[in-house]
Amino acid sequence: MTVHLLDTGVIELTGACPSEDAETLLQQLLLAPDAQVDWRSCESAHTAVIQVLLLARPRMLGAAAGPGLREWVQPLLGGGGGDG
Amino acid sequence: MNDFLNQFLIECREIVEQAAADLLALEKSPRDAQLLDGVFRAFHTLKGSAGIVEFAAMEQAVHATENLLSGARATGEPISAELVAACLACLDRVLGWLDTIERTGELPAVTELSVPDPAAQTSGAEGHHWLREHLTRNAAAAGRARSAVRFIPDADCFFEGEDPIARILGLPQLLAFDTATVNEWPALSAFDPYRCNLILTALTAAPPEALARHMTGCAGECEILAVAARQPIESGQLGPRAREVLEAQIALLDETRPRILPGRIAAAGLTAANVMRFSAQDATAETFAEATQRSLAEKTIQPLREAIARILEGAAAGNAPTPVAAARIEAGSRTLRIDAARIDTLVRLTSELTVAKNALGHLVKVARTQANPMAGSLKNQHELLERLVAQVQASVLGLRVLPLRSVFQRFPRVLREMSSSLDKQVRLEIEGEETEADKTIVEILFEPLLHIIRNSIDHGVESPDERARRGKSPTAIIQLRAKRQSDHVLIEVSDDGGGIDLARVREVARTRAVATEEALRAMSEAELVNLIFAPGFSTASTVTELSGRGVGMDAVRAAVERIGGRVSVTTRAGLGTTVSVLLPFSVMMTRILTVEAGGQLYGIPLDAIAETVRVPVTSIAGIGASRAIVVRERTIPVIALAGELGMGQGAGHDTEATIVIADVAGLVGGIQVERVGEQMEAILQPLDGLLAGTPGITGTTLLGDGRVLLVLDIGALLQ
Repeated sequence: MTVHLLDTGVIELTGACPSEDAETLLQQLLLAPDAQVDWRSCESAHTAVIQVLLLARPRMLGAAAGPGLREWVQPLLGGGGGDG
Repeated sequence: MNDFLNQFLIECREIVEQAAADLLALEKSPRDAQLLDGVFRAFHTLKGSAGIVEFAAMEQAVHATENLLSGARATGEPISAELVAACLACLDRVLGWLDTIERTGELPAVTELSVPDPAAQTSGAEGHHWLREHLTRNAAAAGRARSAVRFIPDADCFFEGEDPIARILGLPQLLAFDTATVNEWPALSAFDPYRCNLILTALTAAPPEALARHMTGCAGECEILAVAARQPIESGQLGPRAREVLEAQIALLDETRPRILPGRIAAAGLTAANVMRFSAQDATAETFAEATQRSLAEKTIQPLREAIARILEGAAAGNAPTPVAAARIEAGSRTLRIDAARIDTLVRLTSELTVAKNALGHLVKVARTQANPMAGSLKNQHELLERLVAQVQASVLGLRVLPLRSVFQRFPRVLREMSSSLDKQVRLEIEGEETEADKTIVEILFEPLLHIIRNSIDHGVESPDERARRGKSPTAIIQLRAKRQSDHVLIEVSDDGGGIDLARVREVARTRAVATEEALRAMSEAELVNLIFAPGFSTASTVTELSGRGVGMDAVRAAVERIGGRVSVTTRAGLGTTVSVLLPFSVMMTRILTVEAGGQLYGIPLDAIAETVRVPVTSIAGIGASRAIVVRERTIPVIALAGELGMGQGAGHDTEATIVIADVAGLVGGIQVERVGEQMEAILQPLDGLLAGTPGITGTTLLGDGRVLLVLDIGALLQ
């Protein structure tokens, strides 16, 4: 599992998130709409996962680990730690 | 076929013709931007036309090629031979489709393209708004961008293992990436995470071809566009959208409240500068940037507002259409596009008019023999009518005239393929392609000329080694020349190859029984070399892909003679060979001589007749089963026309015989007739229906008194 709801109320994405993570991520965001997403150890994410982020626009914590996410996806999500 | 398709065919053929010519010119001068523009426009128009008739396969194929072209346009580098070849191949494919449409009257059912091309999906003539928006949003990257891609993944693409964003982020030399949604986002709770709702756009510095490779097999709709090099819009000119954006900035500045002034000025200044950068007017962009700084420093909108307004005003003054465009419109309106079928109708009516005129001529003759008082004025009117009809005929036939260009321009391509497959270096020189000839002739000409050229390359041109040994340039030159010679068009194909080996011709003719030993001995060199046109003759020592298809030069001769032409060859050992094709300018009018045999009237085409002689019957000597006469120390075989046509011997009691000596492609023979009549101009109707293909008859024409005159095929009779 690469999507975890931490005790702190932060959703953590780690490693390479496959498409199945989209469902989990969506459920968690539905349960906790204000949850922050920590993707500092996320190397890559499937489009389905990114799509959920694009829709839900959670507050992203830090910069993604993967350079692709950091360079191209992060700006679309309003940057890490922004007030998106 | 409906009018729509008809128009489509006519237009597309014209465009393809022009594009092919431009492409070949482009190959010679690969840096000519105007030619490239012309080719690009042609492909663009073809795509549009295909869209109008809803011919998706063609639209896709042309679109894919257009993308390659625009990629090349964007780089500004010289056009590669591969690109030209790809474009020509695409045009060939289009031509093939057009032929099918013409034949069947329907769009061909093409379901698969030979190259699966993701770039082939097109959004039609939408003007690629997405690209412009994408470029404007990413002005910084736009300068280096060579291509752009928009990828709309299928909604259920995730189930096919597609990861669209990963695919796009994996594009080579990615410069910018953006997403948009297909449908508005639903509420989070109503969202299906496994349906893709994204539109992905990206700019890259890689050429469109590279993107196409990368996107192959993507699950969704993908459009790849080349990003045109930022062409400096002529100073003082702005695109409509750039204008719109600049005007919007002025409006924004005008309504700015003091509190948000600095932010507004910075935003408007940046946008305006980006617009100018995107329009490749970097100098103006700099001006805007400076004005922005001044405005910010002075805390007033004025400097920036004025700078933008100045540019807008200047642009308005410089937006007059360019003279070039105006001239083009004028030239276009002077030509009228007419369906060839209508012209054929006109030609047919004119030929009927000629028949009516001939009938009047007959009446005039009858009136004069009967000493009718009207005869004189009838004759005058007939002469006037004759002149007018001749003029009408000439003008009508002039309508069917086409320049030979349409045939000639197909050869450079063919030649390239041939020379590479035969491993010989050949350059084609074309002369007189503006020479005109009747449409029928021009259309028939391609195959015979193709065969002649094939033969020249295959048999005439030596291998590069051999040429070097003979002190010739390794690149052989084949000249294709055309010129008008009074009522004829002369087309010559010359090569600077080794010439025809007469000894070898003689040997082959003997072994393949093309001619008898005696005949060969009696032949002059010119006659000998023309044996290459004899049926069953081929000097190819090895069967090649090109020439060894079992059709020899005899097929060329047959094709040329079918349209009333003649073909001959001259050669000089070691220096080259010239094949000359002499064609009538128009196929419609044939001058014929009427002769009588077995009590029947026949026509003989005048161009087949060398002379007419009257000889004592006793001078016709029997040689074996055949007969011959001697004219100026030359023995000429004689056939009796009546006997030959199965009419029985005519009145054979005269002491003198009338013999028409015919010469068809070097084949000389006498035709004994009972009487020689008059010369006339006639429009030959080919035999059709039951009579089609009757040996010995080329066609028919109507006589003034309404009788049908059979016109003889002298070549066939003499053989």
